[in-house]
Amino acid sequence: MAEQKVGPTILGRVVLVLFILAAIAGAGYFFRDTLFPAGEDGKRQVDLDAFKEQSGKVEAPDTKGITTVNEYTYLPAEKLAPVKGVSNYKWSATDKVVQFPINVWIGWLPIVAANHGFAPNTESIFYKDYGFKVNLKLIDDPVVARDAFAAGESHILWGTLDMIALFAPGLMEDSRTAPRVFQQIDWSNGGDGIVVRGAIHSVRDLKGKTVVYAQNSPSQYFINNLLLAAGIQPAEVTHKYTATAFEAAAAFVADKRIDACVSWAPDIYNIPDKVAGTRILTTTSEANKLIADVWAARADFAKDHPEIIKGLAAGIFKGMDQLAEPGFKARAFQWMADGYGMPVDEVQAMANDAHSTNFAENKEFFLNANNATNFERTWKNITFVYRELGLIGTPARFDEVMDFTIIKLLDQEGTFKHQVDTYRTSFAPTSYKKLSAEAPIVTQTIRINFYPNSSNLYEPQHDELGGVVPNTLYDPTVEATLEKVARLAGQYERASIAVIGHTDSSMKGRGVPLEEVKKLSLDRANAVKQALVKKYKFDPNKFTIEGKAWDEPADPDDPMNQAMNRRVEIAVYPPEAM
Amino acid sequence: MTGDQPATPTAEAAPKALPATPLWSLRIRERIPPWLVWLLGAVPVAVLLGLWFAVTAGPEAEKRVISPTILPSPTEVVRSFPQLWFDRALMRNLFVSFGRVVEGFAVAVALVFPLGLFMGSFTKIRAMFTPLSVFGAYLPIPTLVPLTLSLFGTGEVQKVVFLALAFGIYLLPLIVAAVDGVDDIYLKTAYTLGATRAQAVRKVLLPVAWPQIYEALRLGFGVGWSYILLAEMVDIGRGLGGIIIISQRRGPREHIYLVLVVIVALAFLTDKAWQLAGRRVFRWREKRR
Repeated sequence: MAEQKVGPTILGRVVLVLFILAAIAGAGYFFRDTLFPAGEDGKRQVDLDAFKEQSGKVEAPDTKGITTVNEYTYLPAEKLAPVKGVSNYKWSATDKVVQFPINVWIGWLPIVAANHGFAPNTESIFYKDYGFKVNLKLIDDPVVARDAFAAGESHILWGTLDMIALFAPGLMEDSRTAPRVFQQIDWSNGGDGIVVRGAIHSVRDLKGKTVVYAQNSPSQYFINNLLLAAGIQPAEVTHKYTATAFEAAAAFVADKRIDACVSWAPDIYNIPDKVAGTRILTTTSEANKLIADVWAARADFAKDHPEIIKGLAAGIFKGMDQLAEPGFKARAFQWMADGYGMPVDEVQAMANDAHSTNFAENKEFFLNANNATNFERTWKNITFVYRELGLIGTPARFDEVMDFTIIKLLDQEGTFKHQVDTYRTSFAPTSYKKLSAEAPIVTQTIRINFYPNSSNLYEPQHDELGGVVPNTLYDPTVEATLEKVARLAGQYERASIAVIGHTDSSMKGRGVPLEEVKKLSLDRANAVKQALVKKYKFDPNKFTIEGKAWDEPADPDDPMNQAMNRRVEIAVYPPEAM
Repeated sequence: MTGDQPATPTAEAAPKALPATPLWSLRIRERIPPWLVWLLGAVPVAVLLGLWFAVTAGPEAEKRVISPTILPSPTEVVRSFPQLWFDRALMRNLFVSFGRVVEGFAVAVALVFPLGLFMGSFTKIRAMFTPLSVFGAYLPIPTLVPLTLSLFGTGEVQKVVFLALAFGIYLLPLIVAAVDGVDDIYLKTAYTLGATRAQAVRKVLLPVAWPQIYEALRLGFGVGWSYILLAEMVDIGRGLGGIIIISQRRGPREHIYLVLVVIVALAFLTDKAWQLAGRRVFRWREKRR
């Protein structure tokens, strides 16, 4: 049979096949970059100045007086995409049960309190006052929560604003599932944090180190926002990703080669107690207006049932009122513990992870266009960070997601006038010397082109004869630069901030008195401080100023780099240093 | 395929076989031509694809039966292929994942094969390890991710170990069953001929069980792909699992389904390779039926 055939022997055939395979493999290897491109992960260089172009459009220079709250004047309906087609969520007009998934997070205490537990019931404020029931379901996995929302199984999506920003472009492909954010539930207030190993004292020290955190989570936003603020390229840090914050903490503990982890309470507080040589770098108890928890409704549901959306928001505010009573609060903790299947003391231990935002704070968040940490700025900051990291292509605009109709309506009705904003840190005046005794959490270097010998931020351009050119700015990006500082200062609401002016040393030893140069650098730092206080209504005592003249070059290895030396540094100090 | 069909002798032996039945009638263990095998196999795939097209048809998201926020249409999925290939380095990630599966498989076989052989051969050893093997089969393996993490770190080792664990748990009972399934008659014959214990294992149990073991390995190789998501959950970076996890969070959703299609295609090819290799190695077995 086979012997009679003409052709290569078995060995010959094997050799032939091997040769062909080797040739294919070799060709594949040789052309690997064209055939199998390496993609764009990892090697991205972030344009740290891209911020200026993006944020320059936030608003025109502030011309209003100090006391005015600058409210948005547009109508949300003008900006939100109209809902098309037939509504596509599960709903029974007789039962009227809103499906509201939540995660394990103390910020949901007001809604648990208002609903008298997780299951739909007739004792609930939502039922008694507004005629519908709420079913709180524990869906801890954001992807599952998102999919249930998209499928119409739930009407509400829980999330931090950074999560919503990642989900929004996909969900908006269908106008019915576009997320509409109506209310802020809380600020993370110690619930998220960064734990480091060894001699890391400031975000700047993370350069060249390895950080582990849950990808696409608030952790990712937290750390990368800080890195960008400190002027560190994300590529200068080795990022290791896990699926959950819990695993990030576990990986940090298990693997000594990892220098830092971003995780949640209670892990961030337990690790320094249990693992020698680790400490907390920073948490959201300082960056207490960085991570906002909200809920979003399906656009078609919100369109069909505006009264339910209003009832949800109002009921949650009422829940906040009721929690003021200790006996009721204890019951709410118990309901929450039952719902999560956790011991009640563990739920109580989470009490300080978040700060519930009442009506006044929601008003600040949604309606005040000047607020450094309002919805618009928080959203723009998130999309800036994520876009620069290459995580999202075209982000959704803030006004395609934010809907302040309900907050405005409740404001007009005056239902929650009694709720006042007490979540503001009051600062005592301090000195730079006292403040700088401790290492700053993060230092941000900004550059403002001051007109020679001037400390006016808004100095106009001058013509050849020295005359002023009206309606121009010597530094046209000054508003964007201030915006950058304001966001960091706003996010670190509880921290003290030093504004340090530096000059270049080109006139050093040319008969210019040091005192005058020092005064100039101090004046310039003060100009930055005053501009921030005026525009964003910060407490003046939050900022401490210092003028360093030419004493500290930006780069000690390159002291004559005068372009680098002309700068203002913004150092964020932990509250203990005050 | 090559010219020498392994099935030729059987085909010669089967001219007396019953004539092929019409398409709609079913006969037990009927022999059907290869083209029909392909055709029948293609029908459900085509129906599924048609269904997919149908429920996602329409340019407007709001008019579709299933919204694109849940399931994008096949065209959209195909259209996102260049992005997956070029921007997200599909092939490199595929190689990474495939490498991990192969490594995990190799580690598992290296451990489980001797153990299974001994368990199948010696009752006492089987008694010792059966409980563990049974527990393993019932274990929700995802819960072991944090454990492997703290033992093996966050790198490559953890992923391979995790996959090996999944493979091992699946393969062990099958190998034991394969060895156990060898008919006593072979053993008795061997002993009658004066075989030692070692010879009985090496020359009788193992060779007779080989085709079954091979079949188990072939089926088991697919198991790795169902765990690739979990394995690549830690230190998400490269790998197909990583692409899926990331796409679930920040899109595009098309890539989730595209990667699934890629995995299916890869599974098809590897399975064909296993079959082909099996036919060559166990040529004698083909003729047995």
